[in-house]
Amino acid sequence: MRNTFKIARWEIKKNLKNKSFLIGLFITPVLFLLFGFLGSWLGGEPDDEQTVKIYVRDELNVFTGLEETIKQHELPVELEKTEAAEPEAKKALADAENTGYLFVDERAVTEGRIPFYTNEDFPKTAIVQIQLLAEPVKMLNLQRLGLSDEQLTQVTKPVYIDHETASEGKSSGEKGPDLDRIVPGAFAGAVLLSIVFTGMMIFQSASQEKKDKIAEIILSSATPGELMQGKIIGYFVLGLVQVAVFICFVFPFLLWKLSDFPLFEYLFVPELLLFLLIAILGYLLFASIFAGLGATISDISTVGNFQSLVLMIPIISFFFIQPVFHNPDGVLAQVLSYVPFTSPVILLFRLIILEEWSWMEISLSLAVLVISVLLFMKLAGKIFKVGILMYGKNATPGEIWKWLRT
Amino acid sequence: MEVFLSVDRLEKSFKNKKVLHGISFEVRKGEIMAILGPNGAGKSTTIRNIMGIIYPDAGRIIFHGYNEIPRKKIGYLPEERGLYKNVKVMDILLYLADLKEYPRRKAKERALAYLKKFDLEGKEDAAIEELSKGMAQKVQFISSVLHEPELLILDEPFSGLDPLSQDMLKEEIRNLAKNGTAILLSSHQMNLVEEMCDRLFMIQRGQKILYGSLDEIKIEYANFKCTIRGKNEKNRLVEIPRVEKVEQDEDWSVLYLEKDVHPAGWLKQLPEDLDIRELKMDRISLHEIFIDIATDKNLLNGAEQWNSMEKTGEADA
Repeated sequence: MRNTFKIARWEIKKNLKNKSFLIGLFITPVLFLLFGFLGSWLGGEPDDEQTVKIYVRDELNVFTGLEETIKQHELPVELEKTEAAEPEAKKALADAENTGYLFVDERAVTEGRIPFYTNEDFPKTAIVQIQLLAEPVKMLNLQRLGLSDEQLTQVTKPVYIDHETASEGKSSGEKGPDLDRIVPGAFAGAVLLSIVFTGMMIFQSASQEKKDKIAEIILSSATPGELMQGKIIGYFVLGLVQVAVFICFVFPFLLWKLSDFPLFEYLFVPELLLFLLIAILGYLLFASIFAGLGATISDISTVGNFQSLVLMIPIISFFFIQPVFHNPDGVLAQVLSYVPFTSPVILLFRLIILEEWSWMEISLSLAVLVISVLLFMKLAGKIFKVGILMYGKNATPGEIWKWLRT
Repeated sequence: MEVFLSVDRLEKSFKNKKVLHGISFEVRKGEIMAILGPNGAGKSTTIRNIMGIIYPDAGRIIFHGYNEIPRKKIGYLPEERGLYKNVKVMDILLYLADLKEYPRRKAKERALAYLKKFDLEGKEDAAIEELSKGMAQKVQFISSVLHEPELLILDEPFSGLDPLSQDMLKEEIRNLAKNGTAILLSSHQMNLVEEMCDRLFMIQRGQKILYGSLDEIKIEYANFKCTIRGKNEKNRLVEIPRVEKVEQDEDWSVLYLEKDVHPAGWLKQLPEDLDIRELKMDRISLHEIFIDIATDKNLLNGAEQWNSMEKTGEADA
């Protein structure tokens, strides 16, 4: 075990001193941030601070009240009186930008609604804020009406601003997804991806060691098992380093972008532990496969079809994301959760989108995963032991099969 | 001398092909023991079995005083040379010493001293890929001796080195043996081995051909031979008493003599009319014994065991 940790430490140190690893370590989060910023700059994202102009046709004489409300709430709204009727307003909005027409008339009293027309790309945040303008109209209603029961009922009836875009747009009302699943799930997914990609470096490392012919020297001090485990642990830590760097770059950015979003409240929920367990099991599975595979290949450029197929294994799951998303309870989704190669990604994904969890399914899937991890580590160990010393040539599938049977 | 390692009737097969046939030998503390043989004779397989990198099908490997392979006490220079390419010399030396549980500070001191000794002073921060092949090989040798091993196994240590570096390495190996390290050295470069080994084990097709001290082997197997330059008929030379065989190449004739020939006496009875422009009398060299074995020419009359095996067809390839 001592040797395992020495080897793990060496792999970590060797990579952290390696320029190309360091560049890779920082380039991913930097790219992520770059696209985040580019999105804001190029996409002309609807900004909270954009000022909108609202023309008010004021038949109830509440304009001053409206202005006071805007001042009080510091809304980015500029008010102006207009005499335009609704058809004219709609016409004018066709070419306008960040503009709205508010019709404060008897309908506010009788129907409890104030028609509000805007151009098509009117900022959504502004629409929400403008609901506040209903307050002074409500006050006016109170003033106008007596305090009889009937009137009181009328007054307490909520008044809302009925928004419509001039081009007869429709309001979107999708139900928000369950954030305390998505946030930890996405985080665990990022951890899984990160360590699996780092885990692919195990493949390179084993293959390189074979190519550099140093394996025999290491094996004069450590057993093949220790060497393989050392690599798996070492690259696991490197994967976590990648995650940590990612967090350092991306979390401040997310917190800044989503200023009122309680990211950490959503993240640190009990579900996170389960998600991380799945991610780690997934890593161990793929890492042992890669270690075994790396030991069979000394020249990556002449690698045969068999090995290239094995390299594709972690990616397979992503082909099924679409069907699983559409039917997370379907047969395909369930079966894929029990297939060792796809279960980490598919299970994680399903747990995020499923409303209700079947603990039976989860336990079964986890059991399959744990057993496959143990099995594949053993098999990979066998391949690794023979393969790593076979210098100068790639192993054939036949040879690998023979090593597995011994 | 105290025995450190005993190899006892070692057998190993690969894919139903037997590559080691009951190999037995010992390595003692403070001696240089050489395993000699042509390429593919089974030298590296024997060594890998000793190192526990592969396991024998039959036979035992005993490290006296230890229950299992004392990995930390062994230094190993494999035949296949290689080190991490993009890693600094000192980093790799310290890592390999650390795997042998050798104290870091001491390892660093010794590494610097060795680098200086092998003309690599100042190279400790260079990456392996920046070094020449010979330099990298010296670094690899340093890595095998840095942790003061009790047994040093060197598989073809001289291959790829220039004569100057070969001398440097020879000197260092001799010093290590003098200080009590047991050294097992494999090589196919006979002249180098002949100069430095105390005992040798010659192997061909996985079988023992010769085993003993250098002197014993020379007395036992290396008969005298007489090399003459001059125009002489082969038939006349063969008729000279106690000549076993004659080989001729233009003006050069080599007369292989029978065992126990007394050189001075034999020289006196040479026919007076022989054309002798040059004459040399010496024993068959280790190199010739080796070539003899490698090409199955059977010049070596003493190696009866080999001959009998050859006849019965036991020595499969």
